[in-house]
Amino acid sequence: MSHLLLLVPFLAVVVLNLLPKRARGAALWVSFGVLGLEAAAAFVERFSSIDSSAFTWLESVFGFRLAADHLSGLAMLCAGIVGMVALLVARRTLKDAGEKFFFANLVLVALVGINGIAMVRDLFSLYVFVEVTAIATFILITASRSGAASRGEQVFEGAWKYIILSVVASVLMLTSIGFFLLSAGDITFDAVKTALGAPGSLTWVAMALFLCGLFVKGGLVPFHGWLADAYTAAPAPVSVFMAGIVTKASGIFALLRIVSSTMGSALPGREILLVVGALTIVVGAFLALGQSNMKRMLAYSSVSQMGYIVLALGGDLNLGILAAGLHFFNHAISKSQLFANAAAIEEQLGTLNMDEMGGIGARMPVTAGTTAVATLSIAGLPPLAGFWSKLLIVLALWNAKEYGFAAVAILASLVTLAYFLSLQRRVFFGKTHPKWAHVKEAAPGLLVPVVALALITIALGVGFPFALRVLLGGGA
Amino acid sequence: MTPTVLLLAIAVPAAAGLLALLLPSRRTPWATSALAVLACAFELGLAIYIFPSDFAFAWPWIGFGIEFAFKLSRFSAFILLAIASFGFLVSMYLVVSMAKAPSSRRFHAWVLFTVALSAGAVLADNLVLFLVFWEGLLLTLFAMIVAGKTKPFATAIKAFVIVGLTDLALMLGVMLTGHLAGTLSMSAIRLPLDGLGAVAFLLLMIGAMGKSGAMPFHSWIPDAAIDAPTPFMALLPGSLEKLLGIYFLARVSLDFFVLTPESWVSPVLMSIGAATILLAVMMALVQKDYKRLLAYHAISQVGYMILGIGTALPVGIVGGLFHMVNNAIYKSSLFLTGGAVEKETGTTDLHQLGGLGRSMPVTMICFLVAAASISGVPPFNGFFSKELIYDGALERGWIFYAVALVGSFFTAASFLKLGHAAFFGKPSNAKRKVKEAPWPMLVPMILLAGLCVLFGVANSLPLERLIQPAVGAVMKHGHETFAGFPTNMMLVGLTIGVLALAVLNHAFGVRRSGKGIGAVDHIHHAPGLSSAYAFQATGALDPYRMLNWMAKAAARTLYGIDRAIDWIYSTLASKTALVTSSVLRRVHNGNVNRYVWWALAGAVAVLLAVLAMVGGGR
Repeated sequence: MSHLLLLVPFLAVVVLNLLPKRARGAALWVSFGVLGLEAAAAFVERFSSIDSSAFTWLESVFGFRLAADHLSGLAMLCAGIVGMVALLVARRTLKDAGEKFFFANLVLVALVGINGIAMVRDLFSLYVFVEVTAIATFILITASRSGAASRGEQVFEGAWKYIILSVVASVLMLTSIGFFLLSAGDITFDAVKTALGAPGSLTWVAMALFLCGLFVKGGLVPFHGWLADAYTAAPAPVSVFMAGIVTKASGIFALLRIVSSTMGSALPGREILLVVGALTIVVGAFLALGQSNMKRMLAYSSVSQMGYIVLALGGDLNLGILAAGLHFFNHAISKSQLFANAAAIEEQLGTLNMDEMGGIGARMPVTAGTTAVATLSIAGLPPLAGFWSKLLIVLALWNAKEYGFAAVAILASLVTLAYFLSLQRRVFFGKTHPKWAHVKEAAPGLLVPVVALALITIALGVGFPFALRVLLGGGA
Repeated sequence: MTPTVLLLAIAVPAAAGLLALLLPSRRTPWATSALAVLACAFELGLAIYIFPSDFAFAWPWIGFGIEFAFKLSRFSAFILLAIASFGFLVSMYLVVSMAKAPSSRRFHAWVLFTVALSAGAVLADNLVLFLVFWEGLLLTLFAMIVAGKTKPFATAIKAFVIVGLTDLALMLGVMLTGHLAGTLSMSAIRLPLDGLGAVAFLLLMIGAMGKSGAMPFHSWIPDAAIDAPTPFMALLPGSLEKLLGIYFLARVSLDFFVLTPESWVSPVLMSIGAATILLAVMMALVQKDYKRLLAYHAISQVGYMILGIGTALPVGIVGGLFHMVNNAIYKSSLFLTGGAVEKETGTTDLHQLGGLGRSMPVTMICFLVAAASISGVPPFNGFFSKELIYDGALERGWIFYAVALVGSFFTAASFLKLGHAAFFGKPSNAKRKVKEAPWPMLVPMILLAGLCVLFGVANSLPLERLIQPAVGAVMKHGHETFAGFPTNMMLVGLTIGVLALAVLNHAFGVRRSGKGIGAVDHIHHAPGLSSAYAFQATGALDPYRMLNWMAKAAARTLYGIDRAIDWIYSTLASKTALVTSSVLRRVHNGNVNRYVWWALAGAVAVLLAVLAMVGGGR
């Protein structure tokens, strides 16, 4: 049934656009339903492994093969949950009915790309679906007019940087695919895997280029220049969607797939993942530390956390993929929640400048509490979900005897904790500024998703051993 | 009689102490006193009753070799008897002396607890159990000083800190000893005196000397003499602490370790003893307060005991232990006379005393007997024990003997001065009508003074019945007995000569200054000595003061280190992080060209790295 995961969103877009203008208000809910189905399907999917023969007709039409495994299920589950949250945020924060319709459509298009990334078995298809996702996202950033006046030129600038660096990534990946065709003669994951094992440096050059392309997509240092501007410029629901799943699926999940299906723990790739991961963790964390715009801080925090996932991939192979997958999931949950929290704060206060805030916690207790859960989870405090994935990352590094990188991972947690505590203190604690004396808690429509996500974080942390089995079907 | 009867020796006074705390003392103050006297009488009776027995029993307790084990040996039976006697006499004395004090009821309870804990410490046969009782005494010590009427807290804390520190050394010593010996059973420990064994010995010895108040663990005793109730001085620094401290020192150096004259420990002990004798007696000499003068003698006399045991010769050890008993007798007697004088005249300042002999003749006679004993006048008990110690000291080195002899000279001189100033001369405070002390105070004094005479004239009684059996192991390769009149007539002659000199000195001093209290002024103000005394009076030599100073210096240093570490964490680390952050932020200027260049440079770096690794690998 996995082919439906590509077809249903695509057909849903078609159907939505055939609807009469009057009925377009339902678009958000249609989209919501599709994402709900996707999440449910992914949740069920973990029990069965899908053979690719079911897609042969698709293969004959489009020329690519699909196969879903537990990792695909994980990515699609994240996509479903994050997409639903983004739609709920859009419902509250986008003012114009046309914008909402537009958003619902583009989310579905991006979902086609994400599901494709989750299931493809060759490099070119991977590239295509990454591009599909990127283009949908690019339009999402720019197309919104909500609050555009306050953000001014920023919107265009953020989208511009995103598209420019995406082009750089495209060039790198297409070049890489060309090299693969030269050296391996084929670009399926299996062929690439065989070619990497054989002597000859061209294959590895190709792999390095492809990895660099994905580093751009995932916003890893030093390929991260676009990320903070794009996240900050994007409207609230787009930030949630991008931070929660787009960047992760097209950059990080693709890396996860490359490592698990082709590269394994071969030396050059592993070293690069370790160095880039550690650099990303440290630079991202220190960048986050100095920010006063809440969304920008969250953006750099995302950069830093992506570094953790990449670092895990450089560790012990099986444990590393397990840890990376878990951190992928935890971070998707917590970071989309934090962006939703930021949306709530922007909605109520009209600003994201943390220097102007203070004592908001007294006025917005639910937002403050859920933010605390998410930040502490990402900083890796037990018993929240983030603790377990970070622990597994450190263990993966330890097992691979990468003690130095394990130390970096642990020490950077301190910086993570530092910037998140500073966020909590600057936004929520202290005396309420008279300016905010009459601020109210966000609307229930914004609170429901964040509370749900915070509960997932807590439940996953507390019931970790059980959750581990459910999420990954006993191991990746 | 089952061995568990030993528990009664601890349980009865402890229970009586608890009961004393519960009794409604305001209406029936006599009930507490009666209870204390009865409990102590029972204790004394029990001690006498079980004296000839040999008991031991052990119950499992905490595990790890820590048992609830008790043992009545010849030695502990003898010390228990002494403890019970002093407890009984002091509780009798308390009937009157503290009757009106507001803290009377509590003080009675503390006395009873002290007796119970002391009995426990003496009877315990497991080092940890011993430690439990021994540490408990620290609490009663503190509580009894606090019961004083003036501002006792500073003194109580001083005592607590000093004794507590030595107890800490004792704890470490117990751990080390248990580790080395492989057992905590006190009657089974036998260790050689080398390497870690020597460390353990020193630690245990510090504990024993801290309890007995030897230098340099003495400086709280003179302060307590002023601030604490007099019966406390008679009971703890006067008798029980000496008994316990010297008991333990003897156990350590005779049982746990085998002290031989060849061992390096022996000269160390003798030096500590000699220094304690001389320095403390020099201080006693110039005191102008009845109780403070006695307190310094309480320190000085410990020196004789440590010197005696330190000789590691049978004659010295027996002499030291005999001196321990004698000292407990005459020193508590002296403190009790001081208490009586204080009660009747309201002061212990020698300037305000004088001519008391006429109104308090019994007290005076008790004082004279005890003072003669402590000065070593024949035929009182102090003379005999000192002669034994002299004998041992001379055999080990003439310098130790000389110091001990000089100590005797000053002891005699200071008691001549004290007696003269307090009981002779003309009354300086004529306004107050001074009476003789009431009989419950007199009886203990008289009994103790009587013991001074008895243990002197019939010294075979304590020596052959109490002490020599207690140290049977030592006696085997020594004399048959040390009882009787000293054999070395040269030593006796020298002693008497020194006493005569002290009398001459006194006469000289009195003529020079015109009054009894000034009898030693010529020594006090002698060239050299006077500046030494003046320096001492500043308190700079008080080990407690030095300890405080060192503790403050250490605290300041640690605070500095702490601030430095704090600076690293809260200033350096956060500054570094913020500077790093701001540099990184400035580099991210939003210029898309720059970001593309970074990405391309990154790609080139990755490519080069891969080529280097792949090329190098193949």
